[in-house]
This record gives sequence, structure tokens and C-alpha cells, in this order.
Amino acid sequence: MTTPAQEFDLYAPWVTAMSRALDDGDGDGFRTALAAFDQSRNAEVTQQVRRIAIDLHGALERFRIESKLIDLAQHQVPDARHRLAHVLRLTDDAAHRTMDLVERCCPLADQLAEQAEQLILAYDAEGSAPTLKPQLLAFLKQAGTSMAAVRSNLAEVLLAQGYQDLSGQIIRSVMTLVAELEEALGELVRIAGPVGAATGCSAEAGVARGHGPAVPGINHGHAVSGQQDVDALLSDLGM
Amino acid sequence: MQPNLNFLVVDDFSTMRRIIKNLLHDLGYANVTEADDGKTALPLLKDGNFDFLITDWNMPGMPGLELLKQVRADARLAKLPVLMLTAEAKREQIVEAAQAGVSGYVIKPFTAATLKEKIDKILAARAAA
Repeated sequence: MTTPAQEFDLYAPWVTAMSRALDDGDGDGFRTALAAFDQSRNAEVTQQVRRIAIDLHGALERFRIESKLIDLAQHQVPDARHRLAHVLRLTDDAAHRTMDLVERCCPLADQLAEQAEQLILAYDAEGSAPTLKPQLLAFLKQAGTSMAAVRSNLAEVLLAQGYQDLSGQIIRSVMTLVAELEEALGELVRIAGPVGAATGCSAEAGVARGHGPAVPGINHGHAVSGQQDVDALLSDLGM
Repeated sequence: MQPNLNFLVVDDFSTMRRIIKNLLHDLGYANVTEADDGKTALPLLKDGNFDFLITDWNMPGMPGLELLKQVRADARLAKLPVLMLTAEAKREQIVEAAQAGVSGYVIKPFTAATLKEKIDKILAARAAA
């Protein structure tokens, strides 16, 4: 927008020229000054219209991104949080279910192993004496029942792994949302222009609280590659 | 092998606590108590009669490193064996845990053999001291 002082500087020469031409009765000179005056006015208006158009475009783009961000923040991010909480429940349930089944199998295996050991001891002591037959039959019967139970538990362990499909689908949808959020925030940063140094969370806090499991491709500093590395490092430290 | 030792297992994930508890049972240690972070573990340690602490690092409330520091700062608990069992695998973290007085450090995922080896080593060192 032009200030009154700038307008004075801009138009005064043409108005003076027109006034002089009028005083001199110079019709051609007056028309020339008037045309030049008109042209400078039009150029000023065109520039202002262009500026308004740019502002409007920027405002519309900001509005589009802000609406997208508002939708993401108000609906999709809370949804994603609930979905991830559900993934946590699914994985927790599946792990406990699997451990329940394993814990049911272990005593059956222990029991059979113990009975087999007793039978071997008895066999060593008595040879193939007929007195061993009932014990042997009982063991075989027990083995049949126990193995059927183990087999059924193992089938359920297999089914319990179905959580991976469900949780995988949910995690994939959350990954899409994070990508959208990243894009919208990136556009917002681009429109806002440079905003100074970014403030991240301090590395100090990360060390005290922990970074969580190492994830391939994400680096938080030098990580050991396995238990052997840990042992070597502790040994270097005199432990 | 001292089957009567009292273990406290601290991890925010109940599945991991259960895995460790099962492994300890397999190793012959039947007395295992659980806590889900440092804040709940510390009063248990102060009031109880624990012989061995196994703790995760990354937990809400009080993380394992802070728990370790509090244990070492408490005159009655200062000599308690503390095994850090964690997914934290940065070199500077392991160094920090060592400086804070950790007795052993096992990174997840781990094997039953590693857990046994570290517990045996810590108990042997304690017996020799």
C-alpha cells in the first residue's frame, strides 16, 4: 500500500506538468501529462491487485492446510492413539494366551519324562518281567492323552499368532496417518518460512529415561550389536 | 544354587515379567515377586527381604537407572545385586549403568542361557566378596 507521502512524490510531477500546460494553454502537453498520470495510477492499482491475489492465495493455502491439520489433530490422531492402545492389548493378550498354553504343556512334558525315567529304572532292575506290563501300559495311555493335549495346545498357540495380522493392519493405517501429518506439518513450515532453530528434546533426558529398543535405520548414538558387545564393554570398564 | 533366594523382577510389561518369572522357576528360583516400575519397586525393596533385583530400564514413573541409583544410595540396599535386563543398547547407557553400580547388564532379546550365566556370575562374585 502506498503512503500519502509516496503518492505525493509519485503524482506531483504529473499534476505540476498538467497545471503548467493549463496555464500555458498547451493542449498537447496537458494530454501527454494526463496520459502519463493515468498510466502511473493504473500501474499502482495493478500492483495492489496482484498483492491482494497473492495474499488471498496464501490465505487459502493456509486455510486448506490448517483445516487438514485440525481434522488430523481433532479426529485422526486420537483415533490413532486408540488404535495403538488396541494393538498393545492385542499383543499383550496374544503373549499371555501363548504363555498360558505353554505353561499347560510344560507339566505334561515333565510328567511324561519323569514316568519314562522311572520305567527305565524299573526295566533296568527287573528286565522284561511281566510285572512291568501294567506300568508300561499306563505310561503309554498317559503318553497318548498327554500328547493329544499338547497337540491341541500347540494348535491354539498357532491361532494366537493371528494377532500379527490384525495389529499389522492397524499399525499400517497409523503409519499412513503419520505420513499425512508429516506432509501437512511440512507444508505449514514451508508457508511459515524459517522459524529459527528447532528445539528438540534433550539427549540428556533420553539417556536417563531410555530410548527403547534399537530400530534399524534410526540412530540415537552408538549401539552395541549384541550381548557379546555388552560383555566386552563391561569387561573394558573392569567389570 | 540357592533356591531360597528372593527375586524382585521389575518391568512395565506383564508379559516380560512372566517370561522372566518362568525362566527363574526353570532355573530353580521359586520366590519371585513382580513390580511394574521403579516407584512401586522401591518400597517393596525397602520393606522386603530381597536378595536379587532384575530390572528393565525404560519404564514410566521411575526408570530402571533411577531405581538403581536409589538402591545404591540406600545403606541397607547398597550391596543388593542388580541385573539390568533391557532393550537399551547404547554404549553410553551401558557405561552410565556401570558407573551407577549395576552388577550385570543383559540386552533384550535375551536367551535363558545368558540370564542363567549372568545370575550365576553375580552370585558367585557376591559369595567370593
